[in-house]
Amino acid sequence: MAKPESFAVMPCVAFKFTIFVLVPIFAVLSFSQPVYARDSSQETTEDYCLSCHADPDLDLNFPDGETLFLYISPEALSHSVHSSLGIECIACHTDIRSYPHPPVEFNNPRELAQSYFQACQKCHSDLFAEAMDSIHAAAVEQGSDSAPICTDCHTAHAVQAPDEPRSQISLTCGECHTEVFDVYRDSVHGAALLEAENPDVPVCTDCHGVHAIQDPTAVAFRVETPELCAGCHADPELMSQYGLNSDVYSTYQLSWHGVDVTVYQARWPNLWHSSAVCTDCHGVHNILSSSDPQSSVHPDNLLGTCQQCHPGAGPQFVGAWTGHTQIDLQRNPYVFYTDIFYRYFAYLVLMVSAIYVLLQILRATVVRVRRSLG
Amino acid sequence: MTEAQDNQSLPVQSAVRVERHFPRFTLAQRWEHALLFLSFTVLALTGLPQKYFDLWGHLILTSPSRLILVRQIHHAAAVVLIIEVIYHIGHSLYLMLRGRLSADIFPTWKDFRDAWQMLRYLFFLTERKPEFGKYNFEQKFTYWFLFVGIGILVLTGIILWFPIQWTRVFPGETIPAAYRAHSSEALVALIFIVVWHFYHVHVERLNLSIFSGRLSEREMQDYHTLEYRRLVEEEARANFGEPDAPESGEIAG
Repeated sequence: MAKPESFAVMPCVAFKFTIFVLVPIFAVLSFSQPVYARDSSQETTEDYCLSCHADPDLDLNFPDGETLFLYISPEALSHSVHSSLGIECIACHTDIRSYPHPPVEFNNPRELAQSYFQACQKCHSDLFAEAMDSIHAAAVEQGSDSAPICTDCHTAHAVQAPDEPRSQISLTCGECHTEVFDVYRDSVHGAALLEAENPDVPVCTDCHGVHAIQDPTAVAFRVETPELCAGCHADPELMSQYGLNSDVYSTYQLSWHGVDVTVYQARWPNLWHSSAVCTDCHGVHNILSSSDPQSSVHPDNLLGTCQQCHPGAGPQFVGAWTGHTQIDLQRNPYVFYTDIFYRYFAYLVLMVSAIYVLLQILRATVVRVRRSLG
Repeated sequence: MTEAQDNQSLPVQSAVRVERHFPRFTLAQRWEHALLFLSFTVLALTGLPQKYFDLWGHLILTSPSRLILVRQIHHAAAVVLIIEVIYHIGHSLYLMLRGRLSADIFPTWKDFRDAWQMLRYLFFLTERKPEFGKYNFEQKFTYWFLFVGIGILVLTGIILWFPIQWTRVFPGETIPAAYRAHSSEALVALIFIVVWHFYHVHVERLNLSIFSGRLSEREMQDYHTLEYRRLVEEEARANFGEPDAPESGEIAG
């Protein structure tokens, strides 16, 4: 996937040097660095920078004609995760050591941001590398200005824990993915999250990943879908809290759809398959409880959902889906008796046949031995 | 059949020992078995890799296109089998209604008595095997077990092939039931053929009458004693001035 150019062209020796020499040195330095005490009588670099950047009117004009406001709220900055740890402006703004600053060589604020966010990898190298493998980074690589870099989701200065509250994650994604967010907000998952701050329902990143977000329309993502949903829906403890059945995944795997998908997942994960995964019937961002009349899997809507893939199916076709439950006599009498029949009767016949043949072999051998002796 | 006719005119005490043969299956019946054998083999070979995909089927079905091809072959062989089944039932009914096919294949109380005596023989309670007619109880069991088994396979196979049309009339739940029945019944039928049928026609004795259409006099005496006696008596009656008595070999059902 996309890597920043500096990574891609970096020769092996330089890479090893970075890993084995620079990183340890940096690590040792960063640990041994004295945390700039807030109450120190000595002026911190942060205070020094804020002596100008606390001015709400401070701005910077770019050659493209855009203006970047350079105001940094001292309040927001002091509550950021970085500032409270003593990580100061210069940790990221490594090129600015004094005033006057070196000249800004960017054409617009976006270029500046796309350059400065590289500083994140100094400390967050693993997460940064993951983000560089994401579909977002690929879009940036292809020249998109709107595809997010670290600071777009985390902000640059007022960086907070991204999941406090947990709904903040989905709200953050929703700032760009507005249409999907509107759909998600009304889903059984989204509503529980945004209205009740439910700790168990998935936020965007639970399904899509956090930094290494991949193309969700890719075949490989589709074939993994049942396992993804099973992460929560096959957990008996979690499901019992909501009165949901945790057999949905194990029984799906036995179904025609599930058998097919399992085969593709194991053998041909990158080939398109048409057998239904969870989202084909339940929806994706618009998942609703099956008892909700709006749900695509509500009994009244089920036939239409089946017909998406099985055109011409009649009302009774729906019964071919034995559901997400264990086979039992009340619900699935035909399947139940078929299973019983083949579990007992047919194998009984086979066993009797085998024993009969063995007896015959034994008897014939005795006859032959007797004849040869007599 | 012709040989049996020719042999009738030979004197009993001949200088040359003549191997007499008795007709057992008509040419049409032998062709039916060949078709059944071929189509069933192809169906098993194309069905099993699908049933046991995870275990070993993936070694054969290495790509989705090959899976589709195998399914097409399975369907083609199924059509052959279905035609054979329809012909078999239709033709047999036709012959039976015209009185040209004996009812030898149907089970009788004697079969249960034979089975009981055979069990006693197998447990060394008697030294005498039961005497059989044209078809012994083992052969009847083979026929009917596979008759029902293939019936289930054909029916469930058609359900799985045309689920949408099928559920216009029948409940949808019959589809997963058919799926399980088809998969299990196929294995049951296959194991039954390998264990039971192969033992009786290959191991117990090599019985190729379904291919040659006939049995030797010795085989008739040993394994179909009652039928042999009946034929010999019929023949004797024919030789005593009833030249137009029906040729025994024609009742070959």
